[in-house]
Amino acid sequence: MRVPIAAMIRQNARDPRVLALATAIVLAVAAVALPRLPITRDGVRVLVVVDITGSMNTRDYSRGGAPVSRLVVAKEALRDLLGRLPCPSRVGLALFSERVPFLLFEPVDVCRDYGAVAGAVDSVDWREGWEGDSHIAEGLYGAIAMAQGLDSDLMFITDGQETPPLPLSGGPVFDGKPGAVRGVVVGAGGYGLAPIPKFDDRGNEIGFWGVNDVQHENHFGPPPPDAESRPGYQARNAPFGSGMPTGTEHLSSVREPYLRALAGGTGLTYAHLEDGRRLTRALLAAATPRPSAGHADVRWVPGALALAALLAAYGLFPTARWWGAVPRFVNAVGRWS
Amino acid sequence: MILNADHPWVLVLLPLAVLPWLRSPHRRTAIGSIAVVPADRLSAWVRLGLRIAGMLAIALIILALSGPYHGGRLVSRIGTGAQLVLLLDRSGSMSDTFAGRTPEGAEESKASATKRLLRDFIGRRPHDLFGVAAFSTAPMLVLPLTDHQDAVLAAVNASDRRGLNFTNIARGLGMALSMFAADRPDEHHVILLVSDGGAVIDPHVQDQLRALFARYRADLYFLFLRTAGSKGLFDEPGPDENTPQAMPEHFLHRYFQTLGVPYHAFQAESPGQVEEAIRQIDALERYPITYTEHLPRRDLTGWAYALACPPLLLLLAAKLMEARVRVRPAATRPDRRVAA
Repeated sequence: MRVPIAAMIRQNARDPRVLALATAIVLAVAAVALPRLPITRDGVRVLVVVDITGSMNTRDYSRGGAPVSRLVVAKEALRDLLGRLPCPSRVGLALFSERVPFLLFEPVDVCRDYGAVAGAVDSVDWREGWEGDSHIAEGLYGAIAMAQGLDSDLMFITDGQETPPLPLSGGPVFDGKPGAVRGVVVGAGGYGLAPIPKFDDRGNEIGFWGVNDVQHENHFGPPPPDAESRPGYQARNAPFGSGMPTGTEHLSSVREPYLRALAGGTGLTYAHLEDGRRLTRALLAAATPRPSAGHADVRWVPGALALAALLAAYGLFPTARWWGAVPRFVNAVGRWS
Repeated sequence: MILNADHPWVLVLLPLAVLPWLRSPHRRTAIGSIAVVPADRLSAWVRLGLRIAGMLAIALIILALSGPYHGGRLVSRIGTGAQLVLLLDRSGSMSDTFAGRTPEGAEESKASATKRLLRDFIGRRPHDLFGVAAFSTAPMLVLPLTDHQDAVLAAVNASDRRGLNFTNIARGLGMALSMFAADRPDEHHVILLVSDGGAVIDPHVQDQLRALFARYRADLYFLFLRTAGSKGLFDEPGPDENTPQAMPEHFLHRYFQTLGVPYHAFQAESPGQVEEAIRQIDALERYPITYTEHLPRRDLTGWAYALACPPLLLLLAAKLMEARVRVRPAATRPDRRVAA
């Protein structure tokens, strides 16, 4: 039995499996030849400012049943965030204490220098704080100006506890343009009041701040309107009354309404500090996308299709026989219903 | 050659490569009895060849999908360099010029000049591990020891911003020392202290620091940026100012000499002198250092796809050359065999 080869090929070419094999070859060749496609990717460029004042030591988060401090949670979340940011993203780090942010380094590429940036985040310590006070609003305004100078967005992590408390006349006024710098204010801390650890000069913990250790009321500026009804009030010598003001300034919780107001006034968004995933989401939602040219390797598309075609040639996927089962199945369902 | 993959999970599909042993892309022909066809060694070889070709094609495409590459490993090499912590003064006076004024026009502040020269210095020493610490009122760990030069440069870039109030050298030194590994005689540790002012270190802290230096073994370079009119490191105190409070710089210099570690002091009164000092430090600190390097990565995806093509062609050719075996309708129940 001799069949002319040309006729045989023509006859065989009608088989769908020939088509599948031919498709697989074409796709495999395409995968070899396909160049990398130029694409743009959106990264972020952000200055992260971490509050390292005393109240950030408050242990009102819990991890695995053990209480951990706000600063520890903030560092952990930041480290996680570094790994989640889209590449290429740049992150700079600054510390906040007293009333100014202190820039550690300008934004660097976290995809390339991840280890260095993560190491720097790990070594943030409250002991680096240079003053006990924390003038949050002033610090935030300073951080916004710093971020603007670095042409980056801002993430400001703080618990919002002004020490000393703001005067009754209100805090400092933002003189920048709201929205000129985009970013997010991150509120750290629990919603219930918790005691703030106290440390001695050498950094050893010696209990908690007591009610008489801190200032509960700011006596700068004019006294409150109800001052006349306070005991011991005297217009010249005791305009705030003579009693020791008491309050809850020795305890700490996240001052969310205050931080929301600050964020609203400066054109930033607000998020509560939970974990790295939510922190990343809050940042990406608020940040300016910074497109940069990249290359995408899309060879996997023809590659995967070639594999599918090849497997189909071996009959792994629905064949005519399987398709024939569909109407039978529909009929069967029809009979049952 | 060590192979690696970007998406190793794709390799779980590899068992699909046994498919050619279970199924065939060729037609099945029903024949009456297998005994009708004589055993044919050539057919058996062809069948084995096609199965192997099918297996190779499937396996190679799956391999290609996993993104194989070789190289890209970290290797340890020995170069010349050291582990160097830059301990930078970020007190407010660093923002003034060497003449003690606020910089105007083209004048350069002490911090800016230092920053510019340190950048050159870092660029010339590719194998060093650099760490950065800053001090003013409190010591600040800016960047732990790293070989990522971009990060180090970004930290040095930040060093000429407006600083804080005080100059607390002792705690800064303590922090710089703690960035090294203790008790590692094989590593060469260097601290480059850049400051424009001395500070009084109280005797109790002096002893602590001395113990730390003994433990971490670090060479100390003190680059003193002298402002015009202020006291210098090497000035001998007059009879009425022989106290640390009157001449903190001089007494600091004397204290450093007693630390028992290699100590070099440079006094610079202009950016040119800073450059000269940094050049000398560069020349002095040449020690063997182990550094890691990424070998270049060679992508093998294209090769895997290319290698999958010949077996695919073979399969296609076999499929096209498939003979049609005509058999008479069998009377008995057919025994199905694959005709290759």
